[in-house]
Amino acid sequence: MQTLWSVWMQYLPLLLKGTVMTVELTGAALVVGVVFGFLLALGRLSHIRVLDTVATGYVEVIRAIPVLIILFITYYAFAELGLVLSGVTAAVVSLGGFYATQYGEIFRGSILGIDRGQTEAAAALGLSHAQTLRRVVLPQAFFTILPPATNQLSNLIKDTSLVFTISVADLMYQANSALSVNFLPMDMLMEAGVIYFIFYLIIAKVLGRWELNVQRRRN
Amino acid sequence: MSNDVVIRTDRLTKRFGPLSVFEEVSLEVKKSEVMAIIGPSGAGKSTFIRCLNYLHPFNQGKLDILGHTILGGKHHLPREELRDIRTRVGMVFQTFNLFPHLNVLENITLAPVEVKRVARANANERAMELLEMVGLSAKAKMYPKRLSGGEQQRVAICRALAMEPEVMLFDEPTSMLDPELVGDVLAAIRRLASDGMTMILVTHEMQFAKDVADTVVIMADHGVVETGPAREVLESPRTERAQSFLHRVLHPEEANDLIDAKMAPIGGRQ
Repeated sequence: MQTLWSVWMQYLPLLLKGTVMTVELTGAALVVGVVFGFLLALGRLSHIRVLDTVATGYVEVIRAIPVLIILFITYYAFAELGLVLSGVTAAVVSLGGFYATQYGEIFRGSILGIDRGQTEAAAALGLSHAQTLRRVVLPQAFFTILPPATNQLSNLIKDTSLVFTISVADLMYQANSALSVNFLPMDMLMEAGVIYFIFYLIIAKVLGRWELNVQRRRN
Repeated sequence: MSNDVVIRTDRLTKRFGPLSVFEEVSLEVKKSEVMAIIGPSGAGKSTFIRCLNYLHPFNQGKLDILGHTILGGKHHLPREELRDIRTRVGMVFQTFNLFPHLNVLENITLAPVEVKRVARANANERAMELLEMVGLSAKAKMYPKRLSGGEQQRVAICRALAMEPEVMLFDEPTSMLDPELVGDVLAAIRRLASDGMTMILVTHEMQFAKDVADTVVIMADHGVVETGPAREVLESPRTERAQSFLHRVLHPEEANDLIDAKMAPIGGRQ
């Protein structure tokens, strides 16, 4: 027990350094995914045929491709075309680009789920499409967005670990580099797993509390 | 169009694909007139009044409303024209359609502040006056979920009135309400009528139509079957279709006899 504890403690600073990168990657990819996903949802809901087609095509193709392939294309294949991206940039672009399809579909579903009477009432009051979206539809869609969005966030956190394959020094990368020196794969991988778990737990708790608060205020 | 005609429809026709909703409806509503539209369900009453503020486009015919002329067959109207019509025509729905994420006061002030750019303080003040009028000023901070159906509908009326409309459209405002809650909503509508509001009201409340409406229109079988002064139409309808409809509405107990008669052979087979 003594040795396990001391080994875990010994490598904790290194793994926490990787954790900072993991958190940053998650945050950046989440912002890209949510913003781009929102645009994709608007595109798919648009009456303008071109926007709908482009957004639908993007979602259908990208969500069907493994994140690892997207990551390698962004990092290696783009470089072949002359677009050289840093590991972190490639990671944020590919994770954000992939999760935009997930968030886009969540947003679209929630927006479509709003009762037609709501948009009719807004229209009858003279609100424009944009005003209706901003003041009536989105605030209501928010409640149905939050649970599946939290779910996707847990997937995103885990998928950030793929970036160790392009040598971005995240939590997985640090655990991997440690175990290749100390030959303690069980300890290093368990420790990294526990940190991933705690990270997710904190986020799930915070989002859950937020959801609860908003719901309580409405009742 | 004479000056005091607010709405005129000329052979308005609405179809969903091959399905006819109503054909060639021609009506005229003058300023301060209250028109009640009655008729069996499926006659196109609700769709008809939704065409008046262009929630539904129509296929053929012509609509004159508040100085705008709209010809059938157009899918979209210019944004400014649509906005002008909708800010001047208030609408109340069968299912209330209050915004559940906003409290009563916010429901009422949303459109004046967003669309008409009324100052928040003025909008609040006006909203409180309206709530006072329907006896709900104590519920201003409550969310719709906490209100009864009758209260929700009265808030919905306030929400429409907050835009200071020149015409009010009511789409079966009381048919989703428990019977004991209908009275308060009807009282609010009656008060509007006596204040001289121009109104079109789709309703199943025959007595109310008789009391409040100037004109009654009976729609059935995809069109207008009879129209005229309220009392005349409701008490001595000329057409057979109007007679049979009114008879069935006013004497629902006789429909039971009809069902019993039809049921008999089924029972007999056992």
